[in-house]
Amino acid sequence: MNSPASLFPLLAAVAGALIVLLLEVFIKKEKRDYLGFVSLAFLVAVVGLAVSSWNRELGFFQGTLHLDNLAIVLTVLFCLAVALVILLSLKYIGQQDANHGEIFALLLLALAGLMIMTSSSDLLVVFLGLEVLSVSSYALAGLRRRDEKSGEAALKYFLLGSFASAFLVLGLAFLFGAARSTFVPEIIANLGNAASPSLMGLIGLALVLVGFGFKIALVPFHMWTPDVYEGAPTPVTAFFSVGPKAAGFIVLLRVFMDYWDTVQVSSLIFWALWTMSVLTMIVGNLVALRQTNVKRILAYSSIAHAGYLMVAILARDYSGLVFYLAAYLFMNIGAFAALIGMSKTGTEYLELDDFAGIGFRYPWIGGTLSIFLLSLAGFPPTAGFLAKFYVFSAAVRSGLISLVVIGVLASLVSVFYYLRIVVYMYMREPGREVDIEVDNPALFLVLFLCLYGVLQLGIFPGNILVIIKQAVASLPVF
Amino acid sequence: MSFPILTFLTFFPVAGAVLLIFVPKEKANLHRYLALAFTLITFLASLALYFNFDGSSADPQFVEKSGWLGYGINYHLGVDGISLWLVLLTTFLMPIAVLSSWTYIQKQVKEYLIFMLFLEAGIIGVFVSLNLFLFYVFWEAMLIPMYFLIGVWGGPRRVYATLKFVLMTMFGSLLMLVAILVLYSFYYKATGTYSLEIFDFYRLILNPQVQGWLFLGFALAFAIKVPMFPFHTWLPDAHVEAPTAGSVILAAVLLKMGTYGFLRFALPLFPDALEKFLPLLSILALIGIIYGGLMALIQKDIKSLVAYSSVSHMGLIMLAVFSLNTEGVQGAIYQMLNHGLSTGALFLVVGILYERAHTRLIKDFGGVSSQMPVFSAFFLVCLLSSVGLPGLNGFVGEILCLFGIFKSSHLLAILAASTVILAAAYLLWMYQRVMHGPIANEKIRSFKDMNKRELGYLIPIVIMMFWMGVYPQTFLRKMDASVSRLLDRVHNREKIFLRETGPASSLKGDKSAETEADRMTVRAFAEWEKRK
Repeated sequence: MNSPASLFPLLAAVAGALIVLLLEVFIKKEKRDYLGFVSLAFLVAVVGLAVSSWNRELGFFQGTLHLDNLAIVLTVLFCLAVALVILLSLKYIGQQDANHGEIFALLLLALAGLMIMTSSSDLLVVFLGLEVLSVSSYALAGLRRRDEKSGEAALKYFLLGSFASAFLVLGLAFLFGAARSTFVPEIIANLGNAASPSLMGLIGLALVLVGFGFKIALVPFHMWTPDVYEGAPTPVTAFFSVGPKAAGFIVLLRVFMDYWDTVQVSSLIFWALWTMSVLTMIVGNLVALRQTNVKRILAYSSIAHAGYLMVAILARDYSGLVFYLAAYLFMNIGAFAALIGMSKTGTEYLELDDFAGIGFRYPWIGGTLSIFLLSLAGFPPTAGFLAKFYVFSAAVRSGLISLVVIGVLASLVSVFYYLRIVVYMYMREPGREVDIEVDNPALFLVLFLCLYGVLQLGIFPGNILVIIKQAVASLPVF
Repeated sequence: MSFPILTFLTFFPVAGAVLLIFVPKEKANLHRYLALAFTLITFLASLALYFNFDGSSADPQFVEKSGWLGYGINYHLGVDGISLWLVLLTTFLMPIAVLSSWTYIQKQVKEYLIFMLFLEAGIIGVFVSLNLFLFYVFWEAMLIPMYFLIGVWGGPRRVYATLKFVLMTMFGSLLMLVAILVLYSFYYKATGTYSLEIFDFYRLILNPQVQGWLFLGFALAFAIKVPMFPFHTWLPDAHVEAPTAGSVILAAVLLKMGTYGFLRFALPLFPDALEKFLPLLSILALIGIIYGGLMALIQKDIKSLVAYSSVSHMGLIMLAVFSLNTEGVQGAIYQMLNHGLSTGALFLVVGILYERAHTRLIKDFGGVSSQMPVFSAFFLVCLLSSVGLPGLNGFVGEILCLFGIFKSSHLLAILAASTVILAAAYLLWMYQRVMHGPIANEKIRSFKDMNKRELGYLIPIVIMMFWMGVYPQTFLRKMDASVSRLLDRVHNREKIFLRETGPASSLKGDKSAETEADRMTVRAFAEWEKRK
């Protein structure tokens, strides 16, 4: 149904960003917290507006923007992620010399970009959303202006991100040339009708894949990830590892859904995705073994998780994909929240050695971080296990047994480095003097919410599963 | 609806653990008493299982079933004559383990006990689950507390030992997960419905080649857990480094999860594959028996001696399981309980020595019996039970095992009997060096004999050793039916199949199949035919 109501959540996010940006001028630096609360209020509005369109299949701009149930579920997830990140930033930005009200505005703008990406099947609109997201992300990565690593992260992200965008646009141009459309269903129809596979279309598709591969950090396009994740302010890293990744996968889902079966090159696409999935799982996990900085470990772990998510795409288990994204949101933001707990004014303790003996000295940070890491490693009864179970069981059902075997062995490797952090926390005597400020109620709220999410999704996901299944069922079938 | 006893047994310790989280850390003694109370209540409640269990039936009893996540994932609990005893063994040993760490554990008492309680819940959960998903959840979840118990409270090489333990176990169980997923998808393809119920999978007849792969997936996970040679390398490390109670639980109960897995899953699910791999597995079990015994002979550390004796004893149990006859399997189950008691007791005894001497090297001891006469008597009983002296529990189990093995292969039985000789050799020689002879050093003179707490946890074990040695009927009677049903499933899969689905003609998808279950089996069979 064509209705401007489908734009309302998006407009609320953008309006929130602009208002926060404006308010920042009038609010004293010490009271920046209020900007966070205003942003949270806008997030609530976005969620409310999005949820009220549930099951209504609204669209606008001749259907290029489509607020279907999947987009609504994703919008809610993104808002949740942004809300958690805002809560994490409240104290952090003051502590770590990043006290700029822009962070909230930029997060809201990035949210708008994510929402555009996930609610369109038109590649040009997707590109638009991606750019909105990317531009705000570059600024977010460099938020700690006086910190060299943060600057490096921003620059690296900007340069490589621009390359990726260029690839993507070039790919779109090729695709448009071959199929005379940027709307995915039409591209497929036009390519499928052609008697012989079109080389131009294939090149276009490959370039699009490269572009998105950069954005969701698939091996071999992952090189930027560890540096950017390490350099960016930690709450922003938490956001990067969850938001853009989820949006990228939803785009992959919409672009590479089953309907490629009609096109002659479908098996080529399949094996390209298969190879990237395997490489991502193996490289991400193996390189993580050698890291000594916890933030970098989590960066590589997030690369590895992209590999598991690719398994979901290959197995065409879309509800499993969305469930995995939801589980990943809680466990990863939770883990980063614990990392943010490991800080005091001007210092962050992120080396593995800093974690020695933390578990018994700060039981809440140590305990929750352990649970998040175990969930990332896929131990039951946490969300991480159930997510992997769904994805792998769907993959086995589609006959991808070798992929699953590689996947479980890769996750065995991951168990080692996740548990290594736990080893440091509980089984090593404290070495370096680590003195963290635990007075941060918002942080503990986030830890608690993520813990709740990880356990709820792991033990009784009941309704959430049903909602996700409904959302995926609403995907258009061509 | 009767009282959900199995749910209670599984989750009561969890409740205890959650309670302990909220008790302030400083009150270490309160933590100890609470943990003891929770484990004792669990044990007393589990006695109800024994009294109400009907040994003449092979069906799972005390069944609880309710939906959970859909798609065949149900919350389905039940015990039969095999798992009944393993549950009781667990609940029996848990309070003992808590008592044995009363003074041994001094740092982080609260966390230690929390993990012990979680561990108990996980282990019981493994034994009572009748749904493969649920089983796998407990199977994996139980690794986490064990990982912490060894890693935090263990000896000097604890981190290495605990990571080795977790990674090796996970390696097996992740491949088992793949096998479970394959079964899951086969069942779905054959019947159009989702199921992860063990009893549904028993009805599946799979193409022998597929069975082979799936069997390997399951068997590897269980073989690592048992552990069978050559997958045993984690065991000596984990045992030596773990705190006393950790070793007790590890040896007494955790290893049994492997043998239980063979009995419950690997054997009845894949009988054709079993036939193919039987010679290989039997030889591995035999190598385990002899290799474990020889290694035990040359150990310098008492604890690693007991650890290698475990490898040897578990080899005998596995060999008896693979004999696939009533004596062998009953003997194996009986010997699982015996091994739990006697090896558990030996670790406790070593723990008592260690608390006094702070060393476990055999050469540091000598003449201890003159200082600790009561202790030496208990030590000797536990040791003889492990050696298999008639009148004590080990004898009954070993004889049954050897009978079973003898029935299937004379040569194997003769070679396997070496376990008795080897056990006598390494254990008695160790006893002689530690307890007799001149007093080795001055420190031994200050050793105090066992105190009341230590007596309190060894006496129940010794009573059970005598009981199981003198009157095994109490125990064997409850498992008869379950064992013969199990063997029926292994040997007569085709026959059961015919009995359950009617004459052969109806197997090819004939409409005479009446119930839903029949139709499912028929379809499963058709699928099998196609694959062949």
